[in-house]
Amino acid sequence: MLNAIKPKNRTIVMYLLIPVAMFVFTVFVPLVTALVYSFFEWKGGPQKTFNGLDNYIRLFNDATFWEAFGHNIYLVVACIIGQIGIAFVLVLMINSKLVKFKTIHRTFGFFPSTIAAVCIGLIWNMIYHNKYGIINWFLEAIGRKDLCQVWLNNTDLVMLLVTIPLIWQYIGYYMVIILSAIAGISTEIFESAEIDGANGFQKALYITLPLIKNTMLVCITLCIAGNMKAFDNIFVMTKGGPGTASMVMAMYGYQVSFNQSNMGYGSCISVGIFVLSLLVIGGSQALIKYITREKEA
Amino acid sequence: MKKRQVISTVLATAMVASLGMTASAATDVAANELAYTGDLEIMHYSTSEESEGNGGSDGFRTVLAAWDEAHPDINLVQNVLANAEYKTQIATLAAADDLPDVFLLQGMNTKDWAKQGLIYDLTDTIKASPYYADYNEGYFTPFTDGDSIYGYPALTGGTCTVVIYDKAMWAEAGYDTFPSTWEDVEKASEYFNEQGITTVAFGNGGKWQANSCFLSTLGNRYTGPDWFLSMINKGGAAFTDEAFVKALAETQRLFTETSIFNEDYNVVTNEDAREYFISGDAAAFIGGNWDESYIAATLGGTEEEEGTDVEKFNNMGFAVLPQPADATEAPTSQNIGLGYAIAINAKVAEDPDKLAAAIDLAQEITGPAFASYVAEKYALGGLTKVADVDLSSFDPITQAFYNWSYVDTETCEIYDSYITNAVWDVLNTDLQTMMNGEMSPEDVAANAQAAYEANY
Repeated sequence: MLNAIKPKNRTIVMYLLIPVAMFVFTVFVPLVTALVYSFFEWKGGPQKTFNGLDNYIRLFNDATFWEAFGHNIYLVVACIIGQIGIAFVLVLMINSKLVKFKTIHRTFGFFPSTIAAVCIGLIWNMIYHNKYGIINWFLEAIGRKDLCQVWLNNTDLVMLLVTIPLIWQYIGYYMVIILSAIAGISTEIFESAEIDGANGFQKALYITLPLIKNTMLVCITLCIAGNMKAFDNIFVMTKGGPGTASMVMAMYGYQVSFNQSNMGYGSCISVGIFVLSLLVIGGSQALIKYITREKEA
Repeated sequence: MKKRQVISTVLATAMVASLGMTASAATDVAANELAYTGDLEIMHYSTSEESEGNGGSDGFRTVLAAWDEAHPDINLVQNVLANAEYKTQIATLAAADDLPDVFLLQGMNTKDWAKQGLIYDLTDTIKASPYYADYNEGYFTPFTDGDSIYGYPALTGGTCTVVIYDKAMWAEAGYDTFPSTWEDVEKASEYFNEQGITTVAFGNGGKWQANSCFLSTLGNRYTGPDWFLSMINKGGAAFTDEAFVKALAETQRLFTETSIFNEDYNVVTNEDAREYFISGDAAAFIGGNWDESYIAATLGGTEEEEGTDVEKFNNMGFAVLPQPADATEAPTSQNIGLGYAIAINAKVAEDPDKLAAAIDLAQEITGPAFASYVAEKYALGGLTKVADVDLSSFDPITQAFYNWSYVDTETCEIYDSYITNAVWDVLNTDLQTMMNGEMSPEDVAANAQAAYEANY
């Protein structure tokens, strides 16, 4: 019966071929061409000169690139703690019996992730604005005018300030993922734990977290991948400035490729981002596996 | 039946006549006979939004439409983007060797793109142009590589550095005109700060403004014009030369050690900063001609429009950048020029008829039709000179700005119309850090020089 309605293998392959071809064309081909271009001196236009590993040597010694890499790592760490951490806590609160209107909380929590990053950047630009922004207005209102400042011009604070909107935007996204994972845990486990006298904190740490470990791993991987390619919010808010104080790798690659018309070195930076992202994602997964394995033993 | 035919004929004639009237009301372009039929692509950044209040953009669109109408056999395909997107898109297309037939070339890309064979050498064509005698020849310099010229300078020639100030506010502070030295501006800032008013508004959030609308003129006050000519021609001058470093040091001092500027100068753009002036939060503003046209259009609009302030409009005054105490060159200089030129994709030459059409288009949108339109409607000048511009029909502010731009001041070059963006991008990023006091002028100069030696 099942065989009767099952399409021919050839039909399945043909259908599957379409997305695979699209993926190859839009992801794989550009990646390979970027790798090829990264070995050339290419200042735009049809002329390219092969220059071997020159671009990679330059990349290795490029202080701005490594500064930008450092900023990406800052984003990754801050967002794992901020986005996934806060999302986890919020999910536990929403799942609590004391909370009413759970659907409304879920919907409004998810709402910021549906807004375009450019709009988020503009909204937060207004919040940080030194003349019309709500932060300086509030500081003035409580009589602390001395603390008012041009927030996005503060080199020491600017990375934190551009990270906050990113955290705010994606809490809801991870909330939905974690909520669906927790929904899969049998309520009987929680009930028996309650009978045994476990409090909320113990339930979260010893029941919920171990049971949704795999989902949390996926969340962390998504978070790292997302933040290694961060661009749009920061571009709208600071353009990487002041100077290079909030420069991230993707923005530096864009700046070199398009503002400086140095496509060869720009491609080399893209390959650098790709390799470093793989290393960070792979490294973090190995680390998590190592930590959790030790606990199981 | 016959009656219907008559009515429809009358209606059709009326429609055609009205179309004809519209055409003749627009600017007259020379409708030269062209053999080419088919598509002709043009990419530019004079969007309809941009053309409201911006004379150059309005003139460009109007003449382009008139040319399109005069050549019904040619299908003019326009790709119009906002300026920031245009710059990225055209760089991408150049990298892919896929430039449109006709496009706007930025001065600083000329040498690179000419070397790559991307742009058609227009030297002989320009010299054979029927309007050649009327061209402002100096405007061709940024689009020249060796003896070859690669573009017809387009849009309007405007300053990149003008101080726009509110005469009434400065009179209250005790100044009849805007001070000619930074020392006096510093003194005035004490008065304005007491009033809670910013003395001079400036926006460098986009990173390019400090270069185009400040340093390019201030630098000339220290180095004189020969230094920059030597930079363009690789004649031995360097960013690390003492005079240029002094200009950087003065820029840093003015922004970090005085309280002349709005404290968020490194975060807001010129668009935000000019609003500080319009709203009265600032007594003056430093920007380019595009800012002047916006401010004038906003303040001098009709009564019902938001932002209109006729009194403030009538109090608008124009001044050059004040002179630093230790600067010795050209105290009344301002950087003026045409930043873009109409260039033609070298591949168009494969079809001589198409090339003729592209050249005709380039000639007309920079020719007398455009020049007369912007002179008569906006008191602006372009590549082609217009004899005896009658300024009497304009309001006093427009007249004053025309005289300030083209008559009363000395001119100097716009830095980023020349050399290459690989140098300016490095300098602009470092300038922003320097203006926060977090990088020394010497380091900024050294980095710029390294980029210059590596890329130019």
